Amino acid sequence: MSNNNLAPDGFNFIQESHGINEYNLKSNGLRVLTLSDRSAPVATFMVTYHVGSRNEAIGYTGSTHLLEHLMFKGSRNFNKEKGTAIWDELQSIGAQINATTWNDRTNYFEVVPSEHLEKAIAIESDRMRYAFLRDEDRQPEMTVVRNEFERGENSPFDVLDKNIWATAYQAHPYHHSTIGWRSDIENVSTDRLKEFYNVYYWPNNATATIIGDFETSEALEMVKKYFGEHPKSDNPIPDVYTAEPDQEGERRVVVKRTGQTGIVGVAHKTPVGLHQDTYAFQILSKILTDGKSSRFYKSIVDKGLATSLFMYDFPFKDNGLFISYAFLTPDTDNQKVESIILNEYSKIANDGITQNELKKAKAQISSDISFSRDGSYAIAGALNEALAIGDWKFYTNFIENINNVSAKDVQSIVKKYLVEDQSTIGWFIPKK
Amino acid sequence: MLFKNKVNEIEVKQGIRSLTMATAIKDVVTISGSLEGGSLYAPIDNKQIANIATAMIDKGTDQKDKYEISDILDSIGAEISFSSSSNHINFTAHCMKKDLKTIMHLIAEQLSTPSLKENELELLKTRVLGNLERNKEDTRKQANIALLRKIYYPDHPNFRSTIDESIKLIKKISIENLQNYHDQVFGLGSVRIASVGDVDPDNLNSIIKDSFGVLKAQNLPDVSEFDTAQKSVEHKESIHIPDKTSADVYIGQSIGIDQDHKDYIPLMMAIYILGGNFSARLMQTVRDKEGLTYGIGSSISSASYKRDGYWSTWATFSPELIKKGIESTRKQINLWTSNGVSQSEVETKKQTIVGSYKVGMDTTGGLANRILSNDEKGRDISYLDDYPNIINSVSIDQVNNAIKTYVDPLNLVEVSAGTL
Repeated sequence: MSNNNLAPDGFNFIQESHGINEYNLKSNGLRVLTLSDRSAPVATFMVTYHVGSRNEAIGYTGSTHLLEHLMFKGSRNFNKEKGTAIWDELQSIGAQINATTWNDRTNYFEVVPSEHLEKAIAIESDRMRYAFLRDEDRQPEMTVVRNEFERGENSPFDVLDKNIWATAYQAHPYHHSTIGWRSDIENVSTDRLKEFYNVYYWPNNATATIIGDFETSEALEMVKKYFGEHPKSDNPIPDVYTAEPDQEGERRVVVKRTGQTGIVGVAHKTPVGLHQDTYAFQILSKILTDGKSSRFYKSIVDKGLATSLFMYDFPFKDNGLFISYAFLTPDTDNQKVESIILNEYSKIANDGITQNELKKAKAQISSDISFSRDGSYAIAGALNEALAIGDWKFYTNFIENINNVSAKDVQSIVKKYLVEDQSTIGWFIPKK
Repeated sequence: MLFKNKVNEIEVKQGIRSLTMATAIKDVVTISGSLEGGSLYAPIDNKQIANIATAMIDKGTDQKDKYEISDILDSIGAEISFSSSSNHINFTAHCMKKDLKTIMHLIAEQLSTPSLKENELELLKTRVLGNLERNKEDTRKQANIALLRKIYYPDHPNFRSTIDESIKLIKKISIENLQNYHDQVFGLGSVRIASVGDVDPDNLNSIIKDSFGVLKAQNLPDVSEFDTAQKSVEHKESIHIPDKTSADVYIGQSIGIDQDHKDYIPLMMAIYILGGNFSARLMQTVRDKEGLTYGIGSSISSASYKRDGYWSTWATFSPELIKKGIESTRKQINLWTSNGVSQSEVETKKQTIVGSYKVGMDTTGGLANRILSNDEKGRDISYLDDYPNIINSVSIDQVNNAIKTYVDPLNLVEVSAGTL
């Protein structure tokens, strides 16, 4: 059934791409993605909600994430009172279970011995509409999340990264990080979280992904059995309408704190994730930092100026940031490394990249994609990020789009986007 | 699926064991290999030589500089990495099936003829020293170092130098030190290679035999004897690191046994019940009920290869909640040691451990590491098939006796690091 593109009763077959099938549960609009691979006795079930910290505003930043925590505190059929708490039910069978929140999505997942797939589906369905979300659970969970925030604040990199985003984005909610501001974490009410849940946690705002060892028709029947009880949302799912005003000049931010070594971050605004230029940015990222023959490795690390590099090149639903981070060696001057990064951008804008650099970058990405299919969770995770930016086929068509990128395309994006007026420069300066 | 039927194992040449497992994944192969070595075989006065010598392996060979090697790897989208642990030099790689020959030859070349150039050593030292300076700000690393320094004697493989001591040792290392270490350790004798994915064992073994033939024989130095950990006495220590909003806490002690001891698995299960996962006691109480921490857990560490390990609980707390958090953690440890664990807890954790074991087979990397680690420990491949039965055969009495024998709640080492 699954591989000949026929949908079982209750589902519409939507499309297939590279072995992954998309269905739609007719009764409520739940999107379902399946890829059956019976090579290991393991299956991953993941529900992606199309809501993230981009859907928050002042006063309730961090709510998506706090809500994600409360989703483990119990629901109608899976709770401590009944002896069926979610963690107990799933960890007792050896499942890997967790949830994550980011700018554009929230996902809940279970990697289970395949005979327990139904349990994962039942749990996710139950908490989609019947999570308890009690105030007596929020109070201790708030301090848990606050400690998560505090752990992040321990890291100079995390603090600098938050400052760069907050400086680069003034109106758009990418201004604040997913964990939110401390005072919002502490003060947001349970009612506000419930409101958030009742706006966004509906089958027509979610995608269920099933990868691994299962028979497709049986898995879809289970999805229908459990998720089919939910109606569509009463109201349309609201979208974010806040647009970031044009940036009209370079921005800078400096963080000073006790520490031993500095960090430089050079950020530039990028197009929306589904824009065709995204693929050229992925190539550029490889050319700049991947491997010992990459440009920044040679000009920064190999000169003893940095211990390591990190390229922040993740595509998002809205315009994002392309950030080159360098973790400096002791006593290295931030300005010196910043200049090297910007000079390298200028060189590419003026002279372009070589065909050999392009070929190597494509080979690296091609190999990355092959390995991203190693294990059911890896595939589900990659689809989750593609869903977040707006099209799961971003994942399946990725390599084809990468192969269409030319050297001139890379030069063009550097000229177009990596310009001073669109930049935000961040320095971490250690106070000794 | 039985490992004993799926894994092809052979000594392709004296001193090289190859273990291959074909899976359904298309075109790609994950390689996980090792040879005996690591800090155990480094000079007693400078164990850092093992780490630096291993880190120099990918900085060029007598035949190719590091850029040529990088170009080869980049052009085929493959990766190779080397690392040093206490008992082994490890290498991992992933590549496309068609590139196996290139990768195996490159690994063998890098292991056998690293160029060990002075300028590369100085550059590496700059980077490593920079990372160590950064580690001074790391609350978790600082707390863990302090714990191990209190539990073990300085000659024990689990003992850790302070960060300042490590910096001094690294600064002293010369090319001659690295060459001597390399001459003794990097050779044939104990090479193991586990390859998982789209592999044909006969073809791969032929490639391994051909490529690793360039290595000369390993000439490992004698390993000096070390004393087992000292019996813990109650100790509390606080390390001040400024400008930190979260503190890390370790509470632990030595267990005096290694993984091969008959009591190891019952003790491991006991500690799993205390803090092995989210549904274990510590997360359910200190985090879920009381909201005092984002993360808390307990485990046994560093108990392989005849080393007596230690058990510990690790947690993070806000400085204003740390007192309450430690009290709550200790309360749970005391309840666990005084009352033991229940039959239902033992049965649930058996299911958890066996289920997790199955889930761990989901990736080629997980399989390769499991196969290699089992072989390094001298265990027959069938041990991997027997493991669920071994777990299921543990009784509640064995678990509770293990707690009484190896955990002394009155003599725990407790270290906190942060802005306290």
